[in-house]
Amino acid sequence: MLRFLIRRVLLAVLTLFAVSVLTFMMFFALPRDPVTAMCPKNCNAERLEKVRKELGLSDPKTTQYANYMKGIFVGRNLGEAQGGRCPAPCLGYSYVNGEDVTTTFARVLPVTLSIVIPAAVLWLGLGIGLGMLSALRRGTVFDRLAIGFSLTGASLQLYFVGAVLLIVFVYDLKILPTPRYVSIFDNPWEWATTLVLPWIALAFLFSAIYARLSRAQMLETLSEDFVRTARAKGLPKRTVYGRHALRAAITPLVTIAGLDIGGALGGTVITETTFGLRGLGRTAIDAVREGDMPTIMATVLISATFIVVANVLVDVLYALIDPRVRLR
Amino acid sequence: MRRPRTAAAVTGLLAVTVALGACSNNKRGDDQSTNLNRQATGSIATDPKDSMGPAPDVPGATKGGTFTIISRTKISHIDPQRTYSFAGLANSQLIERRLTTFKDDGKGHVTLVGDLAVTPGTDVNKDCKTWEFKLKDGLKFEDGSPITSKDVAYGIARSFDLDLTGGPTYIQEWLADTPQYDTKFDFKKNKTALPPGLSTPDDKTIRFEFAKPHCDLPFAASLPATAPVPAAKDTGVDYDKQPVSSGPYKIVKNQLGVEIDMERNTYWDPKTDPVRHQYPDKFVWQFGPDASAQTNRMIADNGADQSALGWNGIDSSLVAKVMNDASLKSRTILEPTPSHNTLTINTQRVTDLKVRQALNYAIDRDGLIKTLGGETVAQPVTTLMPPSTIGWQNYDAYPAGKSGNIDKAKELLGGKTPELVLAIRDDNGSQGQEVGTQLKNNLEKAGFKITVKTVPADSYLDETKKKDNPYDLYLGSWAADWPSGAAILPVLYDGRAIKADGSNNGTSYLNDPEINADFDRILALPTDQQAAEWAKEDKKIMEKDAPVVPLYVDVAFYLHGSKAGGLFIDSIFGQPAFVNAYVKS
Amino acid sequence: MSLTPVDGTVVAEAAEPLGMPEATRTESGFVGRSPGQLAWARLRRDRVAVVSGAVMVVLVVVALAAPLIEKLYGVGPYEFFKDDLDGYGMPYGISGGISGTHWFGLEPGKGSDIFINLVYGMRTSLLIAFAAAVITAVIGVVMGIVAGYLGGWVDAALGWVTDLFLALPFLIFTLTLVRPLELHFYGPRDAVPSWFRIVVLIALFAVFGWTGTARLVRGQVISLREREFVEAARAAGAGLGHMLFQQLLPNIWAPILVSFSLAVPAYITGEAALSFLGVGVVEPIPDFGRMIFRSLDYLQTDPAYVFFPGITIFILVLAFNLFGDALRDALDPKSTR
Repeated sequence: MLRFLIRRVLLAVLTLFAVSVLTFMMFFALPRDPVTAMCPKNCNAERLEKVRKELGLSDPKTTQYANYMKGIFVGRNLGEAQGGRCPAPCLGYSYVNGEDVTTTFARVLPVTLSIVIPAAVLWLGLGIGLGMLSALRRGTVFDRLAIGFSLTGASLQLYFVGAVLLIVFVYDLKILPTPRYVSIFDNPWEWATTLVLPWIALAFLFSAIYARLSRAQMLETLSEDFVRTARAKGLPKRTVYGRHALRAAITPLVTIAGLDIGGALGGTVITETTFGLRGLGRTAIDAVREGDMPTIMATVLISATFIVVANVLVDVLYALIDPRVRLR
Repeated sequence: MRRPRTAAAVTGLLAVTVALGACSNNKRGDDQSTNLNRQATGSIATDPKDSMGPAPDVPGATKGGTFTIISRTKISHIDPQRTYSFAGLANSQLIERRLTTFKDDGKGHVTLVGDLAVTPGTDVNKDCKTWEFKLKDGLKFEDGSPITSKDVAYGIARSFDLDLTGGPTYIQEWLADTPQYDTKFDFKKNKTALPPGLSTPDDKTIRFEFAKPHCDLPFAASLPATAPVPAAKDTGVDYDKQPVSSGPYKIVKNQLGVEIDMERNTYWDPKTDPVRHQYPDKFVWQFGPDASAQTNRMIADNGADQSALGWNGIDSSLVAKVMNDASLKSRTILEPTPSHNTLTINTQRVTDLKVRQALNYAIDRDGLIKTLGGETVAQPVTTLMPPSTIGWQNYDAYPAGKSGNIDKAKELLGGKTPELVLAIRDDNGSQGQEVGTQLKNNLEKAGFKITVKTVPADSYLDETKKKDNPYDLYLGSWAADWPSGAAILPVLYDGRAIKADGSNNGTSYLNDPEINADFDRILALPTDQQAAEWAKEDKKIMEKDAPVVPLYVDVAFYLHGSKAGGLFIDSIFGQPAFVNAYVKS
Repeated sequence: MSLTPVDGTVVAEAAEPLGMPEATRTESGFVGRSPGQLAWARLRRDRVAVVSGAVMVVLVVVALAAPLIEKLYGVGPYEFFKDDLDGYGMPYGISGGISGTHWFGLEPGKGSDIFINLVYGMRTSLLIAFAAAVITAVIGVVMGIVAGYLGGWVDAALGWVTDLFLALPFLIFTLTLVRPLELHFYGPRDAVPSWFRIVVLIALFAVFGWTGTARLVRGQVISLREREFVEAARAAGAGLGHMLFQQLLPNIWAPILVSFSLAVPAYITGEAALSFLGVGVVEPIPDFGRMIFRSLDYLQTDPAYVFFPGITIFILVLAFNLFGDALRDALDPKSTR
């Protein structure tokens, strides 16, 4: 187990390294000079050169990359125009925002976490619950309704659902406050009521997919020999379905859930845009629009980290549940 | 395997969509037209009493409450020397006092008065080269320390620091007598020194000495760049997060891109201030929601939104809803703004005057304005100065009706097909592209061949401001810093001001020696005689050179909560002003 | 990662139960007598499959026949009826200007005909979705089949590349790259042809979308690798290419087909989502996603404008999803009892 774990983590680190190199290269492949965006007024050639030097853009690319990485792990010194000393983890300084990128992310990360984690709990519970039940009650009205729900959900778009939810619950009926972010530590009630719409919207669409998947999975498991054997042995229905079948059916969903949650943590771009919340996703979009290179770079790294970490966790979890995996 | 009646679910869901707005019939002929006429008058206060506080009470205003302003994007800078955005300028009136400021009735009548200064400046030798401002008594920063002329001078000195990007550059350029002002004074090297020409004979006096006459200094001094900054509290680029207040409110919390919280500054003395009030307990900026979300929140008028304003105005998609609901009308503000938009012609590339005139004949302003969202978003103009300019006279050098005159344009082109490249700003959403499609469609009917080229929003201005830019046409916009022809025509059409390496204001790159000479003549006139001359010059430029196609002025159309009061549209910048704002109790 | 309308879901995942964790899966049974015929028969018996299939075909035909429909209908996508808009840019008439000439009314502000724009928009959408789905399927199949059959370090390396691509945030890369790519390929005065953006979108979808199929195929191939027929072919000295594409591929076409049919609707909604973020297909090319995004703001003032594009894309995506599901059932007899 330990060897498996070490190998997996090493691979993950390698992946992250490759992501950072790729992202870094991508920005240098861009035709536009990031410096122009950073000095909009009175930008003569001399001034441009000065900014370029201050940003370290005249150094060799490898040096720049090494400096960036150094900043993340031990911190580094930036020029006076960039707020001076930047302690680890330093993700650079954003001219557009006028603050170091780490501070920006420390502020927006809780927003995305607050959207994704409760939504994930909702969609997993709702989706898997629906899927399992409809598999067990195959062919009944409940099953049909559940499938109808999941197909509708899977064919709708989040921004559409979001817009309708907003108009109905916030602007028309006025039973919910406008979505915005309040820290859970400041006011848990407000935190929940202001974010409940994004949760519902995300949960509706995601649980649709999960209901479909888990229903199919459960149906397949129910036809497996071990389930039939268990039933034939005379074990009560509840034990067979609840323990044996459910567990076997749910395992493959872990992978998908892990990736989905990891991906969502990397920025729920559309959710945040629809509901006017400023998490990782919205920050990324704004950064792209404003040509804010350090922030884009950091967003890519952070969301990649989430996905990679989720991947490792899923694999480890899988290995724990299913010992056969380790042998591969 | 059987599957459910999904159709039923679908129908139910869509029924909700349709029920949201029942079938309506929008009849032709029912239109009310929006009549927006306002003409500015402006003067510089001569009586020192005008510059004295306190500002007269706003009828019905009460103290207390929290006033919220909801904006889609953050304020780009709140450091006074870097403030130049509309939101930044509006906000700066709450936290920053400056040498002069405009007394504004919200209907276009403005008077320039002394703010920190006792009067709006003294032209010592009557040659506009030496100016003196005397500070009032009893001025204090938010920590209670007195504001001296040294603090004002320090603020101007730090605006020479090139790291502090974003602010206006009038005063720096005038003092240094060159656009490359940083070559004359290096702030970073000696932070206690003052730039050439700037001096503080005593704690109450600040003196500007220019190499050339600059009669507009009192106007330029109304920008927050002349706000005082205590040298000891200056944190360089980080000052942008929490500048020290000299106005009626101070920043208590600034979460970048999320929220700015401001509370009363107890050291602000209303007796020294001719324009500002201190009615609400708090002002809060909330950032994030787009214009349609803001409008929906204002319509819903729920909780804290009752004393709020949607900063980005009424979304054009919801105008019909607001206009058709009588109960909302009392909460709207509808005013034209001085923001003037043109289809700018790069005269370096389009050298044939006939082509430029044909463009002027061909333009379909009505179609364009509908694309933008209709008459509550934009109003057509045919002049180079917006109607709110002092002394403005209406004329149409190329009369072609509201939808343009294709035949007249074709006649001028004489069978030629000029191939022109139109640069369009690639904005948020698709509106920029829709405007491009509209213009292309419009002009091609008149015989032009138009190539629409989208340029990323963040580099659009940089690109078009380069002298040798590769485009023939682009959309230009100009909001003058004060409502005088002097802040518009010479800035945009004086060919001698064209810079080789970019950041040009006059992107038509017109260089007509006769017009240039006219500018010198008019600028030398006393301020009060200039207005009529600028109006004449406006017409002359259009008739003689047609360097742009005047398109429209932006219209300010805002909806606020039922408890928000005292809002008006700033006559200078055409945006909501908060100096009179209060929360109804 | 994250191509679908919901932030973050993996495109081909909907198809994963078929082939996912190879350890828990038993071989799907298309053993024996002409599985294709069996599947076709099952499909024809499935009412939902027939209906959704028919809807799908009709919509695809409508999209393909767009120019013909324009001729019959008499209004083109690039005609603007500004005179039929009031001073606020809203169309005159009932429910957003529905009339004999404009069946679905006019777009507020723009003044273009909604019906013909929908027809053309559907064409753009389907073109992007099909092209992206075909390319991802090809890349995914090649990567998966090679990794699964060769195993060892090749499998490990390709697996790592797959992980790497999964880790790259699709939306952010797309947002960042779309515009600079245009600047890169076209000079400042050249018009960027409208198809260029379409090609860029397809390419980006392809680069980021193949990982799901690759994993799926790899799993299938691993389970087939040790089967007798493969052993036999190997013993007979079959070359690698023959092994991969003559022996293995014909045995895994079913899950690939299902994954393909579910990828198409995912790309349709994915493209719409990109329009929502402002990097979709640009004016003047009619596009579904952009129209829906634009219409959403008019939910209260011109509901008909939201309704027509909304219902069309919903039906389109639903038909593809239903058909994909039915196809899966038909191809995988175990789940259909």
